[in-house]
Amino acid sequence: MQQKDLLNKPLSEAEQELLETYEALKKLAARSDLPPCATCNVRKALASMWQVTNDLHLQFEQLYDYGV
Amino acid sequence: MAYPEYWNPKTETLPREELQALQLHKLRRMCEWAYAKSPFHKRRFEAAGFHPDQLQRLDDIRRIPLMTREEWMEAQIDNPLFGDLLATDQTNAIRYHLTSGTSGRTPIRVLDSMKDWDWISEMWAYGFWAFGVRPTDTVYFAFGYGSFIGFWGAHYCCEKLGALVIPGGAQTTEARIKQIIEMGATTVCSTPTYALHMWQKAQELGIDIVKEGRVNKLILSGEPAGSIPAVKRQLEEAWGARVGDTAGMTEVGTIMIFECSHQPGGTHIIEDHFLEEVLHPQTGEPVGYGELGERVVTSFGRGFIPAIRYRSKDMVVRVPASTCTCGRTWDIYEGGIRGRWDDMKLIRGTNVYPRAVEAIIREYASIDEFQIYLWRKDNLQDEITIRLELKPGHEGEWEQLRQQLGKDLANAHEGLRFNLELMEYGTLPHFELKARRLIDARPVAQY
Repeated sequence: MQQKDLLNKPLSEAEQELLETYEALKKLAARSDLPPCATCNVRKALASMWQVTNDLHLQFEQLYDYGV
Repeated sequence: MAYPEYWNPKTETLPREELQALQLHKLRRMCEWAYAKSPFHKRRFEAAGFHPDQLQRLDDIRRIPLMTREEWMEAQIDNPLFGDLLATDQTNAIRYHLTSGTSGRTPIRVLDSMKDWDWISEMWAYGFWAFGVRPTDTVYFAFGYGSFIGFWGAHYCCEKLGALVIPGGAQTTEARIKQIIEMGATTVCSTPTYALHMWQKAQELGIDIVKEGRVNKLILSGEPAGSIPAVKRQLEEAWGARVGDTAGMTEVGTIMIFECSHQPGGTHIIEDHFLEEVLHPQTGEPVGYGELGERVVTSFGRGFIPAIRYRSKDMVVRVPASTCTCGRTWDIYEGGIRGRWDDMKLIRGTNVYPRAVEAIIREYASIDEFQIYLWRKDNLQDEITIRLELKPGHEGEWEQLRQQLGKDLANAHEGLRFNLELMEYGTLPHFELKARRLIDARPVAQY
């Protein structure tokens, strides 16, 4: 698991948790066995978590492959 | 409840050398993305001999070719509807918006994915939070909610931060004022012109907005007037509220700059999400702090249609962040957006290019000459009047022409109302060489 932010600074405990949540949502968004109610809301949650992790410069990537 | 001062303290107070390191990282990644995924950018990068690997220092940004609105429009015309700009499949979009184009009827068209659209509201959140909007606020949007992007992102920003949102869509000004009073709105969002118009209308209705209402913040966008001291003073006095300026553009989808609650006489640049350069409009050379130049924007947000070194044609004066006492490390545009260096005019928040107006007028064979006359009604509201002369013998067509041309102009300008005035033949100046068909009779802003 990533330990540093984009400026190479160690992550705080909260940042670590936020990043883990973001990665977990990416995994869920990649699944094809979820019903629409799960898929669509996971995507929405992932879009929100992208903002958090991007604002805190924990990641900077695109999510179009997840339909987000 | 006491709320923190910053929406994102980690980057809003980041030392500038670290901020620049972050910008370099994002710039490289965004260029790699655009090069790999957007044929438009790949073509332009290759033509300029640029490759994203060349970005080793922030100064290397100057190796990237400047992007213009004209190129964007040409790409759309060559390959409708979106040109070859898209960096991902159109099916990933959840949102479509447009802004009026520089010529004829072709607008600039944009698409956003779920992540992009949420980012758009995130940028507004930086600005709204900085100006003091909190979950306890009731925010009124005096906005038409159409294809024009306007305050859409601000609406979602307020939902995100937990404020009560009142979408004042298709209503009369009177109904809007009554709703603002009835619902106890604490924040009102509109263009500066419309904020003045609402106040004037309230007076006509015998409503004292200051005594009967609870508005303590006016957040403005769409016109430069929000940072013009005289307009700001007038609005603050009229509404009994603080006035905060913001500015954005459809091409990046959101605001790039906002005024914080310390009201430093300018607008902070959201520098962790945008890389803004100020260049001499003719030489393209960077200008220093305190000098007037054109802002060129690179967005790190919308990946669907990357905007990299996009020439805004907005004139600005950049000053250091330390000019403001708020503690943010983000530089400021003193006086907000100062104006334009091209011929674009802003009328009630809508972009109007005289050459686009002319292209539509010229479709009517019975029109002989015309003049675009910009004026300010009752010293409050910007108006655009097209004065027209018909060819002799075609006077009988006026009524039908007036209706159809009015529709065509409005459709090409997000519904903007154009006044059309028939002039007696020979009244307007006729040109043989360089025509000057635009008269801007509005008062000049004093900074």
